[in-house]
Amino acid sequence: MLALQILIDGFAVSALYGLGAIGFTLMFGVSGVLNLAHGGIMLIAALFGWYVAAEYGAGPYGGAVVGIVAGLLASYITYFVVVRPIQRSRAIPKVEEEIFILTGTLLWGIMIQVGMDYLFSNNPVSMQPLIPGVVNILGVRTPWNEVMIAAISWAAIGLLWLMVNHTRIGKQLLAASINPRGLTLLGFELSRIYLIVWTIYGLLAGLAGVLLASFFGVSSDNAGNLTASAFTIVILGGLGSVQGSLIAAYIVGYAETITAYLIAPTLRPIPALLILIVVLYIRPQGLLGRR
Amino acid sequence: MDDLARTSAQITAPLLEVSGLTKRFGGLVAVRDIGFRVARGEILGLIGPNGSGKSTVMRLVMGIERPNAGSIRLQGTEIAGWPTHRIARSGIGIVFQHSRPLHRQTVLENIQLALLPDSLWRLFAEPHVERRAREIAERVGLGEVLGRRPATLPFADLRRLEMAKALARDPRVVLIDEPFAGLTQGEVATFSELIDGFRRDGHAVLLVDHNVKSVAALADRVLAMYLGERIAEGTAEEVMRDETVRRVYLGGKIETHPRQYLDARGGEALLDVREVDVLYGKAQALRQVSIHVNAGEFVSVVGLNGAGKTTLFNAISGLVPFAGDIRVAGSSLRGRTPARIARDGVVQCPETRELFGDLSVRENLDLGGQHLASDADRESQLTWLFELFPILNERQRQNARTLSGGEQQMLAIARALMMQPKLLILDEPTLGLAPVILEQLSKALSRLRETTPITVLLGEQNVTFAVPHADRVYVLEHARIVWEGDPGRFAEEMGTGYL
Amino acid sequence: MMEMLRRPGPWIAVVLVALAVSAPGWMGAYFLGIFTTAYYFGVFAMSWDLLFGFAGEVNFGPTFMIGIGAYGAGLLNNAGFGIPLCLVGGTAAAVAAGALLALPALRLRGPYFGLITLVAVLLLLDLIVIFANITGGEIGMMVPDVLSISASVNYWYALGFLVVSALILFGLSRSSLGLILQATGQDRIEAAALGFNVTKHKLAAFCVSALFSGLAGGMLTFYEGAASVDTVVSLAITVQIVIAVVFGGRRTILGAILGSIFLILFDELLRPLGQLNTFVVSGIALAVIIFFPDGVLGWVLRPREPR
Repeated sequence: MLALQILIDGFAVSALYGLGAIGFTLMFGVSGVLNLAHGGIMLIAALFGWYVAAEYGAGPYGGAVVGIVAGLLASYITYFVVVRPIQRSRAIPKVEEEIFILTGTLLWGIMIQVGMDYLFSNNPVSMQPLIPGVVNILGVRTPWNEVMIAAISWAAIGLLWLMVNHTRIGKQLLAASINPRGLTLLGFELSRIYLIVWTIYGLLAGLAGVLLASFFGVSSDNAGNLTASAFTIVILGGLGSVQGSLIAAYIVGYAETITAYLIAPTLRPIPALLILIVVLYIRPQGLLGRR
Repeated sequence: MDDLARTSAQITAPLLEVSGLTKRFGGLVAVRDIGFRVARGEILGLIGPNGSGKSTVMRLVMGIERPNAGSIRLQGTEIAGWPTHRIARSGIGIVFQHSRPLHRQTVLENIQLALLPDSLWRLFAEPHVERRAREIAERVGLGEVLGRRPATLPFADLRRLEMAKALARDPRVVLIDEPFAGLTQGEVATFSELIDGFRRDGHAVLLVDHNVKSVAALADRVLAMYLGERIAEGTAEEVMRDETVRRVYLGGKIETHPRQYLDARGGEALLDVREVDVLYGKAQALRQVSIHVNAGEFVSVVGLNGAGKTTLFNAISGLVPFAGDIRVAGSSLRGRTPARIARDGVVQCPETRELFGDLSVRENLDLGGQHLASDADRESQLTWLFELFPILNERQRQNARTLSGGEQQMLAIARALMMQPKLLILDEPTLGLAPVILEQLSKALSRLRETTPITVLLGEQNVTFAVPHADRVYVLEHARIVWEGDPGRFAEEMGTGYL
Repeated sequence: MMEMLRRPGPWIAVVLVALAVSAPGWMGAYFLGIFTTAYYFGVFAMSWDLLFGFAGEVNFGPTFMIGIGAYGAGLLNNAGFGIPLCLVGGTAAAVAAGALLALPALRLRGPYFGLITLVAVLLLLDLIVIFANITGGEIGMMVPDVLSISASVNYWYALGFLVVSALILFGLSRSSLGLILQATGQDRIEAAALGFNVTKHKLAAFCVSALFSGLAGGMLTFYEGAASVDTVVSLAITVQIVIAVVFGGRRTILGAILGSIFLILFDELLRPLGQLNTFVVSGIALAVIIFFPDGVLGWVLRPREPR
């Protein structure tokens, strides 16, 4: 019974982690940016979504839509105010660009965290479940909400996969992640490609934030941990590999769930970090990493 | 008598002895069973075109790469597999092709660095270090600029700094990569002196370069490489005359096929390049280069590696900044993004091909056709290309990465053609390809020429490939256009002296 | 030596130090306390600059070494040892930690190294929370001994430590070893081709950075009478260190001191804003990174050369 519960909970948790990590990995694969404000963007989506749902009475669905839009806007601000100026700056030497982007997004992430704390305080909030009630899966009482979240996560992941592999824009994104120069030679403006990536990223991070609020609840204190777990998963899976991120999300998700159930809930974040250290020592490019 | 014999044996005993050297990168064999010796006071030239493996050999000797097999002996001691710093300390020095100074330090500090021991505990350099650094600076001609930082120095001075560092290390064997690239005649003479100085001091020198001409004056012996293997060895003259070497560089006898309907085409210039200069950092990559290509023409720009062909094409494609004027169909290209220039009809198929390795052949081609108006256009274009390059039709679903070199080149050209370019620029399409593939490529280009009004600008080192198809030929040498004319005259005037 | 005396720099430094030494005579206890913290922070920042600017490694977890130095010293003190021994023990632990962190460093490139340093800090944070019964968890750990109860004496301890550290670290940066470190940081292949063991030098840079960071962490603990996550381990501290160095000027060592003082002062002055002071400071730092990446001292000291 416990095993089944772990199986089900772990599945949902991993699905959500996967959704959060995919955006992060797509961002790195296509534009080479490691966005350390990732958790902050998810947080904005979660908190604004909750606020509109609870205080304005828009209900969980209205809140979700607002939350996703908020995530998208936060993503655009991150690109236009923080990342793009650094990329275009002539004062910063090319080799240090990555470091400056890491530092800049880290600072921006902290600003978001403090800002959200100021606006909403750091009390944890959670959104009402999208569908109330419980369902009996093989004898385990599981909230409908949890099932919905897993389903939505996988639907979003599936949509992304469809888009990347079967639409023209998707192929362009894929090509950009393999060889940006090749794309330029074929007449595609990279600036347009980057804009598309940040848009998709914002939508994914926004959705992940909103679902997180519904599943676990969030508080402004979580921003750092959210970023940390996303990049742990992405490094484990291999920077730039979407399949890798999904597999890693499940490894981490299950490792955490098992730890929480069988050892102690407070030790939840530990296994991911240990796995990460082992991976970085043995196989730094991650499970399916290319670069 | 015995003493004399023994001493001369010591003098002529190889300082550096390499045998059976092999290096693989994944499936590609970059260096196959290479062996040579360099004795004290001897200069060996290692030559080969891009992709021949000569730079890899140099890196293997220096320990920057580890060989898969083979032995490298320095005065009898096996050093293959040693870390670079240990090899350096045991007496091998290297002058890289691209200068690598410390940008935040002065010239003097850069030279002093080369004189320092590998120690954590010496906080203050011994007093003789500065004095010696100054002496070395004087010897190479940097005496006036000791307090300056590399960013403010001209190109030749940066190369002098690299030589100074090598001198400071006082190595028994010096490896020099492309010693004269980017230098003027006068500077070449000075540098030759410095290299000769190494020889006079009793050291051994390995010069690595693209072509024999550059190193002929200095090298005692030359070893020619192609596709990782040794193809000739001997004195400079012997190597230059060697059949295999000539075939690799020139492709063989030059044949020309005057194009039947040349007079029917031509007219106003489609591409007009006027007095273009390009600087790469400090090196002058193009000097007052002017060429033009009329609509419907096939123009070849021939020149050895490093002459400036790629730079010229990159300037046209908007990938590097330039001074001067470049116009297509009368309007200037300045200010347009590279993607825009490509969409406007100037499509480049670069030396590096830039394929999307993890995508299939079909997906690569589809991306090329994205800007075409309709699906019908794309379909018909694809059909035509599959006729031109049947092998691509067969391998449609394969990932580009898994294709052979020749197939990848065809894919790159086909992909560029998908864009229905007004001007197709081809940069060194024959690089690293086997002769039988060159045949196929040549046939495809002929068909292209004869059945379409396409305008082509081809840059090639392989003259046998480049000249027959061309309506006109330019020769680019050391950043300048040195000859222009039709293929017939080229065969007469340039044929023998080219190498 | 003589040419050093002719340049303005050393004289300005002497004047500033003299001014600083005299501060307890005219500065109130409140500001003395702020500067004391700023001085310790200055050592954190200088150590980071040595590693970043010279060995070329971006360390997102300086607080790993600072934290181990601080908690190490604190735990030893709670076990009954005197301050000097605690400082030695804490620092030794920090150096060992630095070496441990350096080992993967030398095999990873690019963002991977920065990320593993970040992971080290997260692990330390989690460990401190898990073993809260020993470490005091998120609340922090008190230590029985302090350096002094007088604000002036504490100030002078901090100032003295800062000046000695600055002399050593700055001296190192200008020494032959510093030149080699710069080479290994800028271009490891060329450095190796010139005969330098890059691994050995980077490891050394790490250990020196760890030594000063750890010692500063320990001394800070004995100044505040406590070691806590918020003052020595949290990510916010890392960010502040990076800000201080970038603001003051990367690779100048002394610029880090400038940046630290600015940061701590500014943070205090903005205290009335409540939590938002972090927001404003981060915002300013972000602007500096984007528009003035060379920092204050970097801009002042930019090379002016005859062309």
